[in-house]
Amino acid sequence: MANELATASTLHTEDVSVWFGDRQVLDKVSLTFPANQVTALIGPSGCGKSTFLRTLNRMHELIPGAGLAGAVYLDGKDIYGENVDAVDVRINIGMVFQKPNPFPTMSIKENILSGLKLSGRKIGDSEELVETSLRRASIWNEVKDRLDDQALSLSGGQQQRLCIARSLAMNPQVLLMDEPCSALDPGSTRRIEETIEELSDSMTIVIVTHNMQQAQRVSHQTAFFLADDNTPGGVVEFGSTEDVFNRPVDARTNDYVNGHFG
Amino acid sequence: MSTQQPRPAKQPWSRSNAAQRREIIAASVLPLIVTAAIYWILKIDYTVALIGVFLPLQVLSAAAVGLRAFGRRGIWDALLLVLTIFLSANVLVLLASVLASVIGKGFGALSSQFFLQNNIYVSTTTSLEYGGVGHAILGSLIVVAITTLLAVPLGISIAVFLTQSQSRLRGPVRTFTQAISGLPSVVSGLFILSIMPYLHLQHVGFAGALALFPLMLPTIARVAEEALRLVPADLRMAALALGAPNYRAFFKVILPAAKTGIMTALLLGLARVVGETAPLVLTLGSNNSTNLNPFDGGMASLPRYIYSFVNTKYQTSQERAWGAALVLLMVVGLLFGAARVLGRKKSLKTKASKATKKGNR
Repeated sequence: MANELATASTLHTEDVSVWFGDRQVLDKVSLTFPANQVTALIGPSGCGKSTFLRTLNRMHELIPGAGLAGAVYLDGKDIYGENVDAVDVRINIGMVFQKPNPFPTMSIKENILSGLKLSGRKIGDSEELVETSLRRASIWNEVKDRLDDQALSLSGGQQQRLCIARSLAMNPQVLLMDEPCSALDPGSTRRIEETIEELSDSMTIVIVTHNMQQAQRVSHQTAFFLADDNTPGGVVEFGSTEDVFNRPVDARTNDYVNGHFG
Repeated sequence: MSTQQPRPAKQPWSRSNAAQRREIIAASVLPLIVTAAIYWILKIDYTVALIGVFLPLQVLSAAAVGLRAFGRRGIWDALLLVLTIFLSANVLVLLASVLASVIGKGFGALSSQFFLQNNIYVSTTTSLEYGGVGHAILGSLIVVAITTLLAVPLGISIAVFLTQSQSRLRGPVRTFTQAISGLPSVVSGLFILSIMPYLHLQHVGFAGALALFPLMLPTIARVAEEALRLVPADLRMAALALGAPNYRAFFKVILPAAKTGIMTALLLGLARVVGETAPLVLTLGSNNSTNLNPFDGGMASLPRYIYSFVNTKYQTSQERAWGAALVLLMVVGLLFGAARVLGRKKSLKTKASKATKKGNR
């Protein structure tokens, strides 16, 4: 398993707009996430960046009344295509949430294997898969002696890394992270950032963050989202992280990354 | 659960010092003594003494101590404390007196043959050494088991529908379920009695189970709904984000997380029907011998047994009824215990495996 990791994929969106009921929350977002790159999505609350992240693996469809226009291509294939099942999309595009959400009724080991069970796939060498996944999320050394303990016995930071490991066990090509460190202490945050850097060797990562320093530390490219009053959100600026933070083109980006608003 | 560390001499979190504790004890004991004295000397009514003398005295003394110890806010603390303890003590006394009367009057009837034998050849005056409620225990268990088998799947399905779907029909379904829970049990029995000819049913066990079904269903549906609603939406999101179809997310993540609550739903459902008498009197028929077939012939049940024996004027019969009431309580207790153990199985297993592992290391 360790030697046959999936190769990272390029994710590309074209004019993605999202509605919740009659209210449009995103307007024509076109971004490209190249393979093995970490992309940070930044912007003030309510600008639609989390919603956009969810359109990348069709999680927004779980919200009643959600509608979408545009297309999202995973290695050239439209994930909203006619014969594509949302369930298959989510197997290839994993997701880590803001709040750690390990399954409380399962042990650490069962949590890692839960993805395979839940998606109805065969479990090959489970011991090895558990170890590999936990190692990739750099939590193996902390939990290797208590794999059968309840997942909730871990600390918050460990739980979040367990959730990352749980996603990694699915061997995804793309990993989406929705403010994965916002509920964690600085130490856990640093470890997760190190994990992100190692993971980018084998997958494409998109991360939503409110932490400017974090965006600068972990990402290769950055997209700045903004929604003016009562208008749908959209991308103001998109480019390499270096450029967006140090040489922003748009005045609003400059204000935001330097902490003048938001 | 003793801790290794020595206990600190001072407890900074403790809100009262020794003098205050003495006052609290005095405030709790004095009203009791005064009330007892008034009760014995003036020979007033017990209820009057309790509510007219004891409660005001206790409230006043508690308020006084509260005022001395904590100032104005202490008064309200003390009042709330007194009322809470007083009212919960009333409930406890009620429960204890019910238990005491059933045990006191029913214990004399208990013997091994009372559990094992049935009611054949027993008349209203037969001595307690002959006959028993074995047939009624089995009858009750069979009828309640059939009702449970019918009501649990449907009740949980309703709960799932109400919590997991986005359907517009949820409102009407919830209202309808609540409406059924207001159905008087005798009406449920009458309804089944009236449709029994169309179902080609005589007075048999299955008809009794059908009559209990509308009583159990809403309880299970509503409690299970609450249990499922308590499962965080995050968990469902996590499962779906791992590529789970909805049904697997439900069975593997949501349902296990709600397991304890669903067990509670089952328990409350059982408690609701196991002592029901009216529907069974109407639909179950009765039987003095043991009948295990729910589709042929009448069946005995504990509530029905109690009902028919307590209505006679003979002492042995009444003792039988009390004995059967005690047995019914024991059956309920056993069912509750079993369900609790089943509901806890998972965590116990984990603890056990942890313990053995630590032992091996």
